[in-house]
Amino acid sequence: MLDVIAMHLKLLFDLDNLISDMDEPKYKEIGFKVDDEEHHALIRTRNDLLKKLPDDIAYVYERLKQRYRQAVAPVDNGFCFGCFQKLPTELLTRSKELTTCPNCGRILYFPEQ
Amino acid sequence: MNLASLLSKERIDLSLSPGKKEDVIRTLVYSIKKGEDAELIVSTLLKREELGSTGIGKGIAIPHCRSLAVNKLEISVGRTTKPIQFKAIDKKPVSLIFLIIAPPHDPGNQYLITLGKIVQIAKEITKKNLVNKPTTHEEFITMINDIEKQLGKRK
Ligand SMILES: [Zn+2]
Repeated sequence: MLDVIAMHLKLLFDLDNLISDMDEPKYKEIGFKVDDEEHHALIRTRNDLLKKLPDDIAYVYERLKQRYRQAVAPVDNGFCFGCFQKLPTELLTRSKELTTCPNCGRILYFPEQ
Repeated sequence: MNLASLLSKERIDLSLSPGKKEDVIRTLVYSIKKGEDAELIVSTLLKREELGSTGIGKGIAIPHCRSLAVNKLEISVGRTTKPIQFKAIDKKPVSLIFLIIAPPHDPGNQYLITLGKIVQIAKEITKKNLVNKPTTHEEFITMINDIEKQLGKRK
């Protein structure tokens, strides 16, 4: 996967998690104030970021998000952290392209290290 | 969750240089991650700050977010040698900062539970006027430990 696409995708995913946390009743109970207007602005930023992705990737991302809430799953010890299935070894070395889990379809993220 | 056990002395800086909110956040993030991942975290934290400052008042701020760049809950603590502007809810400058980064996937929502607990501990620190009390990492961790014990007893 091209670095710039990967970076956009990672940021989009982090922002989507931020947006969904803000909607959690539990989050509001903690006592942090969230400005509604800025919340809407964040959703616009996230939509702009989505438009920066190639159409096919944006489409896959949105479809996965609808299905699973979180479109991306980190790879941990050769396992997909979304469905906890062991990934085929050949996938683990092919991290330059956008890789999806053959079992659940989530976009796989290979942590640095 | 035990906050004291999540703290490590490499990630407690009690003589942090004062500066712009963004720079102080970046310094604290870099004690946890470096490079591209660190910048991703900084971007997400700053987006979070735009939604409303995490300066909870009385000199303490708790910037926080989830990020793909970490695979477990990471905490870093800084106390600036002079209070800095943080647009806190009481508009007062901030000197003690707890920075929290959680992984995106956490079954049982440990992140929000931990965040709630840290807010509670932070409020005890201000109530008892302890922001500037600890002078070493050891003292800082002991202080957190003591507060956690007291809070535990109160339940
Ligand atoms: Zn999977």
